[in-house]
Amino acid sequence: MKGYLYDSDRCMACTSCTVVCPVAAATREFLGPKMVGPALSRFRRPALAPDLAADLCSNCKNCDISCPSGVPISTLNMLSKAEYYRHHRHRLRDWVLSHGQLMGNLATPFVPLSNLAIANPISRTMLGAFGFAGRMPLPAYVRKTFRKQFRALRQQSFPQKVVFFPGCYIDFYDPGVGLDFVAVMQANEYEVVVPRGLGCCGTPMVANGFPGAAERAVRRNVRALQEWTDAGVPVVACCTSCSLTLKQEQQELFDVPGAAELAARVYDATEFLLELRDRGKLKTDLKQLSGRYLYHAPCHLRDQGIGRPGFEMLGSLPGLEISDADAGCCGLSGSYGFKGDRYEVAQAVGDALFKKVRASGADAVISECGTCRHQITVATGAKTLHPISVMRRAFE
Amino acid sequence: MSACDVVVIGGGLSGLVAAAAAAERDKKVVLIAKGVGAIAVGSGSIDVLGYEAGGKPVARPLAEMGKLPSNHPYARAGKQATAKAFEFFLDLCEKGGFPYSGSADVARWVPTAIGTLKPTCFLPRSMDPAPLEAAKAAVVVGFRGLKDYYPELIIRGLMQVPAYPKRFRTVIVDPEMAGRDVNALDIARWLDTESGRHACIEQMLTGIAPGNVVLVPPVLGTVPNYGVLEEFEKATTCKFIEITGMPPAITGLRLYDLLVSEIKKRGVRIVEHATVTRAVVDNGRCTAVVTHGVDRERTHPARSFILATGGFYSGGLEAGVGSAREPVFGLPVKVPESQSDWSNAFLLSGGAQPFARFGLDVDARLRPTDGSGKAVFENVYAVGRTLSGFDDAFEKSGNGVAVVTGYRAGTLVA
Repeated sequence: MKGYLYDSDRCMACTSCTVVCPVAAATREFLGPKMVGPALSRFRRPALAPDLAADLCSNCKNCDISCPSGVPISTLNMLSKAEYYRHHRHRLRDWVLSHGQLMGNLATPFVPLSNLAIANPISRTMLGAFGFAGRMPLPAYVRKTFRKQFRALRQQSFPQKVVFFPGCYIDFYDPGVGLDFVAVMQANEYEVVVPRGLGCCGTPMVANGFPGAAERAVRRNVRALQEWTDAGVPVVACCTSCSLTLKQEQQELFDVPGAAELAARVYDATEFLLELRDRGKLKTDLKQLSGRYLYHAPCHLRDQGIGRPGFEMLGSLPGLEISDADAGCCGLSGSYGFKGDRYEVAQAVGDALFKKVRASGADAVISECGTCRHQITVATGAKTLHPISVMRRAFE
Repeated sequence: MSACDVVVIGGGLSGLVAAAAAAERDKKVVLIAKGVGAIAVGSGSIDVLGYEAGGKPVARPLAEMGKLPSNHPYARAGKQATAKAFEFFLDLCEKGGFPYSGSADVARWVPTAIGTLKPTCFLPRSMDPAPLEAAKAAVVVGFRGLKDYYPELIIRGLMQVPAYPKRFRTVIVDPEMAGRDVNALDIARWLDTESGRHACIEQMLTGIAPGNVVLVPPVLGTVPNYGVLEEFEKATTCKFIEITGMPPAITGLRLYDLLVSEIKKRGVRIVEHATVTRAVVDNGRCTAVVTHGVDRERTHPARSFILATGGFYSGGLEAGVGSAREPVFGLPVKVPESQSDWSNAFLLSGGAQPFARFGLDVDARLRPTDGSGKAVFENVYAVGRTLSGFDDAFEKSGNGVAVVTGYRAGTLVA
């Protein structure tokens, strides 16, 4: 564990995080990242009465992005949440929202019945009683998970390998993104590997105060990936929260042997492709595309310290017109915006982005994060795409 | 990371201006920012040169610059570049829809939230104190619950200023905010909304009359424009003046948002939340800088590099026992031999602190030099608080030096 990373005494109370925090802007009930993170964490040592001040934090990480002193404020908040739930019972809702992999494994064999079971008016009322946001539909499960479809795929074999980390969203809700990634890599003479034993990255468990479950998820993933990371094979994710967790969050929170070695090999898909392009390793005879798109940078991508590689890649594809929405957080933050008592905050946070999307008249909104795309589609009706899906059209 | 012409290290005022100036010359620019700079929580006023070394106020900053020692950043940048830099800055603000007023020829004294005056030069129009100087009476608007802002304290101080009116009164607006402490950002967000503006105007009208000069904290909206100011002036036929306040001081946030948006328009790529830890050098040239994340290092190659990492507070300079250094390039920082000479032990004496002048020595092209005055790297430029030879806190010149040296470096890079 890189524990030095969350030394709250490096905070000099400059208020930069307070200025950028989208939750503090949306509700006056949240004390703000400076107060909840570094300031209160001093009093939490040594574990005085645990408090729920951090519960309104959505773990979007804009505070960390803004901090000039390198304090990972959101991680302090997650630690405080974890401490609280060591002494208090969780809500069933939070357990459900943070165990997406288990829920997916249970629900997928019964699609479309399972979707009907969660999307009909009666069950939605019941879900409301359990604390879910009635107006925020949960994404629908697919009949065939990404991993199932991947196993059926006949890839051309190449000496260059890349490991793909699907994550829950792509596996259970949006397998097309994973298939597009495989297609882009195949077109560039890479063979894609999805090792057995991969599961949830752990971030929904962290955000909902289940550090034990999150750490088990991290250990399982590190183990499943070890032979590949030992061989120097890059590990790529299309979900920015997965890649952020694999690179960073797991090292800030847990002490798992092999996590640092894994982190050193993890890439966001667009980061990986941009790096290949800059090294002259990508196909250059690209198909002419057309269309006018709006790009939304997920907060968990911005936190990675790699700029906006997807936006940059798309800007270089022939025939594409793309502009940066630059309108801040979408508000959903993984599981946050699905909660009845957080829904209003999540919608208020995303409002600036929704307005930009509605005014843009773009053919589609492009964003790396699955839950950002879900939030944008539900709020605005706009079509959304992962950058890899657009790149596939150019490369194939 | 894709190769580019210029990497700017640091997202504060000097880095943003450097990036804008380089991009204006069609350079491909990448700006690497660890976090947001002090600019986002500061007052946004551009102080050029408030006090001489002896502590005497400077009435004509531009003229006074001629008397500065040759190692002062203004002297390094030169008279012509200094004037051009301010022109460039004013033009950026104009293009961003938030034009600034003022000039470097004359010092402007602006009121603060503790009732003192501070010398500056360039200001948002909403902070221009001229109407106060012409008024016979003025109103100080307060907001119920607002932290670090006390109308009585402000009035007590401003009454002592000869040029200001002797009659002040107070109007308290209640934003009816529940929950956490109220800061200027909360009020500014309230005034971003139509209902907030209407409620505020209605409450103010109970205590102000047409033609009044009205002092408010920096709360007239979070967006870099004068929409709220104009609406207030129209609805009340009063003159409004935002006074400088404690962080978060909103007027700086507006300038920050404006500059970020202007450099993006000019094609600058911004890498957020990345810390540059070292440089790759080859035969007197820097070929790349390296960021160090929790996960791994990443290399950012370029033809030129602008170091805008700030001073001791932001990690641009590091102090150790008996020595100080610049951590990215390992550049030397000259310090007195005895550590007891680093600081003025009488903290409240009003005297300057020697450590405030520690920084990088540079040549006429702003390139850090070794002990003999020779540039260490031919393509590395240093700007803003990284530089030696000035005391931003004592002489009140921080933002001015940031604008001038940032602009100068942006025009020099290949």
